[in-house]
Order: sequence, then C-alpha cells, then structure tokens
Amino acid sequence: MSFRDAKPTVEVEDLHREFKGKEGTVLALDGVDLKVREGEVFGVLGPNGAGKTTMIRILSTLLLPSSGSARVMGWDVAKRPEKVRPLISTASGAERAGYDYITARGNLWFFSQLYGLSSKLAHERINEFSEMLGLTDYLDRKFYTLSTGYRQRVTVVRAFINDPKVVFLDEPTIGLDVMTALKIREFLLKQAKESGRTILLATHNMAEVDAICNRVGIIDKGKILACDKRSLGAPALVMEMTPPPDSASLEPLSKVDGVKGFTSSIDEERGVGRVQVVVDSDESAQGAIDFARKSGMNLISNWRQQTTLEEVFVALVGRGFREREHESPS
Amino acid sequence: MNPRASIWLKTVYARTWVRTKSIYGEPLWVAVNVGFPFFTSLALSLLYSSAGLKSGIGFAFLGGVMVSFWGNVLWSMASQFNWDKQQGLFELYITSPAPISAILIGMSLGGILGTAPSAITLAIVGWILFAPPANPLWPLVAVTFGLTLASLYAMGMALSSLYLVYGREADSVNEALHEPVSFLSGVYFPASLAFPAVLQAIALVIPLAVGMDALQRTLFSLNSTGVADLTLVYRDILLLAIMGITLLFAASKALKILEEKGRRAGTIAVRLR
Repeated sequence: MSFRDAKPTVEVEDLHREFKGKEGTVLALDGVDLKVREGEVFGVLGPNGAGKTTMIRILSTLLLPSSGSARVMGWDVAKRPEKVRPLISTASGAERAGYDYITARGNLWFFSQLYGLSSKLAHERINEFSEMLGLTDYLDRKFYTLSTGYRQRVTVVRAFINDPKVVFLDEPTIGLDVMTALKIREFLLKQAKESGRTILLATHNMAEVDAICNRVGIIDKGKILACDKRSLGAPALVMEMTPPPDSASLEPLSKVDGVKGFTSSIDEERGVGRVQVVVDSDESAQGAIDFARKSGMNLISNWRQQTTLEEVFVALVGRGFREREHESPS
Repeated sequence: MNPRASIWLKTVYARTWVRTKSIYGEPLWVAVNVGFPFFTSLALSLLYSSAGLKSGIGFAFLGGVMVSFWGNVLWSMASQFNWDKQQGLFELYITSPAPISAILIGMSLGGILGTAPSAITLAIVGWILFAPPANPLWPLVAVTFGLTLASLYAMGMALSSLYLVYGREADSVNEALHEPVSFLSGVYFPASLAFPAVLQAIALVIPLAVGMDALQRTLFSLNSTGVADLTLVYRDILLLAIMGITLLFAASKALKILEEKGRRAGTIAVRLR
C-alpha cells in the first residue's frame, strides 16, 4: 500500500523537549522531524528512554514542546489542543485505565461520554470492538476482577470508541501473552486498513513493528536516526578483512558520506573481521570500500545485502535491544 | 444542542454515575461514611447531655452531618483526583475533549449523592435518640445547606486543580487542612459563642464555618430570645453565595492555568513503568 499521496495527519518539525530536574537538564527530544500520513501504521522504535513516550505525550497534548512544532490533522498541538483532542485517542500498555468497582462495559461507556457519544452508539461500538477482541464474555465483570490481558483489551477498545482519526499507542502489548498480543495486533491492523485511521505506535518490540507497521522510525537519545519502510529498505555492505581491524581504526568509517552506521565482529575460526555497514546508496558503499582500502585494511571480500530491522537498529544505535533493555534501570 | 454543552453535560452525568457507583460498590466505605461521624457525634452528644447542655446535642449531630460532606470534599474529590492521576486516568481526561470542570462537578455530585444517605441517617438517628431542642426555619435551612455544599465543593474543585502540577505535596495540603478547618468551622459547637472575634473573622474565609454558623442559627435559634437572628443568617447566606461564585470562578481559572503549567512542566502524566 502506498501512502505517498495520502494527506499528512501527523507532522513534526524540529521538535525539542527538555526536562529540568535537580540533577540537571535532560534532553528528551533533540530535533525530531516526522511526517505520518492518513491510514498509516507508523512504528516509533527505540529503547527505553529514547524519547518515544515524550513524543507521544506532546502529540497527544499532554506535554508542551520546548521548541519546534507538532501538528495533528493540521492543528498545532501546543496552541490548539482543544481542536486536536476530539480527533485523537491514546492508549498505553502500562495504564490501568478503569474504575475497579465498575464493570468493563460501564468503564467503556464512561469514556465514551467524555467524547459526547450517545449511549446507543457507545454500546454498539463497545459490542462490536469487544467481539473483535474476544472481550464480550468479560464485559459485565467488574474491572478489578479482569486479568492484565483483558484489561488491556478494554484499554484498546477504549482507544477506538470515539472513532479517532489518529491513535497514539505506547507499548500496547507490553507484558501480554502471545495470544492476547496477536489479537490486539490483528485488531489494530484491521482498524488502520478498514477505517483509514492513522496509528502511531511507540514500541521496542520489533516483531510488533514487523507485524503491523507500514513504516518505522528508529529513535534514540531523542533523535530519529532512520525513518523509512518497514524493513527500512536499508542496503548494507558487508566487508571481510584480515587481519581483523581494531575498533579505533574503524571509527572514521562513520564519517564517510552516506554511511548511517556499522557493526563489526570477528570470525575467530577464520581469523577474519567482518564489518556490516548500513549505507544509503551504492556510491556510499563504494565510499566505505575506498575508506577501508585507503586505511590499509586487507579487504578479502565484500558484498551487498538487505539488512533486517534489528541489524539496522544495532548499526544505528550501536547496541542491540536486549543489551539496552538489560541495562535500563526500569 | 451545542456539541460542547452536550459533552459537558454527558461528562458530568457519567462522572457522577461512576463516583456514586464506586462509593456503593464497596459496603465498607458506606459503613465508614456513616460510622465515623456518627460515633463522634454520639460521644459529643453524650458529653453535652451529661453536662446538662441539651442545646449542644443539635450542634453535635449537625456537625456530624456536615463533616461527612467536608470529608467528602477532601477525600472524594482532591484525593480521588490524585488517585486518578496515579492510575493514569488523568491523562485520558486531559486528552479527551471533556472539560476538567465537568469531571470535577461530576465527582462533586457523585460525592454528594454518595454521602447524602449517611448524612441523612445520622440526622435521623440523632433526632430519634436525643431529640435536640430545635426551632428550624426550613426554607432558610434549605438555602443555607445548598449554598454551603456548593461553596464547599467549589473549594474542592480549586484544591483538586493543584494535582495538575503537584502530587504528594497537594495531598499533604489536603491532609493538613482537614482538622484545622473542622476546628475553626466549629462543626461540633457554636463557634460564634466559643471563639473570640478575631478567630471568628478568620473562620469567615472558610465556607464550612460560614455555613455551620448559618445552619446553627436557622436550626437552633441561637440568640437569647429564642428567635433566630436573621440579620446574621442573611449575612452568612450572602457570604456563602459570594464564596460559591468566587470559588467556582477561581477553580475554573486555576484549572486552566495549572493545566498549562502542568503541560509545560510535564507533571500531568505519571510515568507508570
């Protein structure tokens, strides 16, 4: 599906956000540019603390940017939040969004009223979406009796009950079992395809991005490092050299024109160093080869390949997700 | 109907429904709501009775009734609002087109509906057990009671707005206000007789104090001739009306200003993971 001709629903330009605290200033967003079009499911992929939630909070009018601009359906989120709010909804995998002593149905009806829906329409949508998510049998149970998975299904129904044009989802399947996560992903995909909604999905789950996103942006330390099709369409150059180069001698490779990032490894058995370089064109690949030769590296072979999302992420961010997640204090 | 008015009304109704349903969803809360003020009123009534101050019994039970509502302002509004924030519900209010004032008014109405049965029970039981000497001027009682509740809940709305920017600090302010306000308002005794003029003047900034004074006068005819001093009652009613309007206006302004401040400082949402 091509979205190039669709009108943009989310437009972010040079967005910055700082948080001032006792321990100094933290730059959560550092010049983010982004354009998401109608009907797209756009994944914002990044490790914890990358700036995903901050961006979603700005776009959903919860937070003001320090500078730059963000528009949803043409409305500036900082200046005209009252115009943006009826058009959007948000859902987070961490929220408990519900009153314990009210049934799931009652909770959903309550949220529908915040958007002025008639009770009849609200109940029709509750029934329809609950059926799609396998929630029907649990609708009349009190919220506190529901398992995490069913609460999350309630959250997802809630996010779509007002027929939003743009939905911001922050890790919507975090901590869920495989079946529940699949059910929710199917639902999201159907919503985007059939209703033409724009979904902006912040996640660190690559499988989720692969499953439902049309495009993905990799974010780290408040910057969008790459933004393209689901696979990122990133061509890679793989170079093998012997002896393996040390990391200091490889460092200038990142300065070569068109090189987005690289990773290196050593094949101990063969005594060969392997460098995978994410490039933006064939010319950049040639530039990387020239660099290796000029630096005195003994290049024994090189070839092109299409990178996986994970390889792109590792090349751009420098480390793998698991490593990152392991390091994260939360 | 105008879409904004429709959302406002629907939000008020829905939040009232949720609040009422939640209060009655847990029988223990209902029991506590009735129990706490009842036992305090009972103890004070027995004390007044044994001291031969029959007229004091009425104050004790009226105090119990009003303390139920005052406690509700703090616990069911400000603290409930804080709970909403901690649960992540707050973000959903802000990102919806529903005005926060409608959420708060719904919470107030729900709180009133949730507290009214316990307050009525307390009043009936007190009347049956102790039959306090009373000379009620019912129309004035109704007006005073209504205005007192309106002012109290407007004050609750203003206090709740603090949660847009502050968390525990606002909660501590609420806690700290509870007892001094109850004391200064003279909920269980006639402040107009017990307090020096300076303290009475200070207490006049608290809607509960003004309301208690007017209710005591209209229910129990405080002056020496046994006839209610209507001049003072009318003064109190006027004060309550001014307070109600001022507090509502202040709450509405505070909500807007503090929401903007919260958006700037990033304090509206709580990071849940």
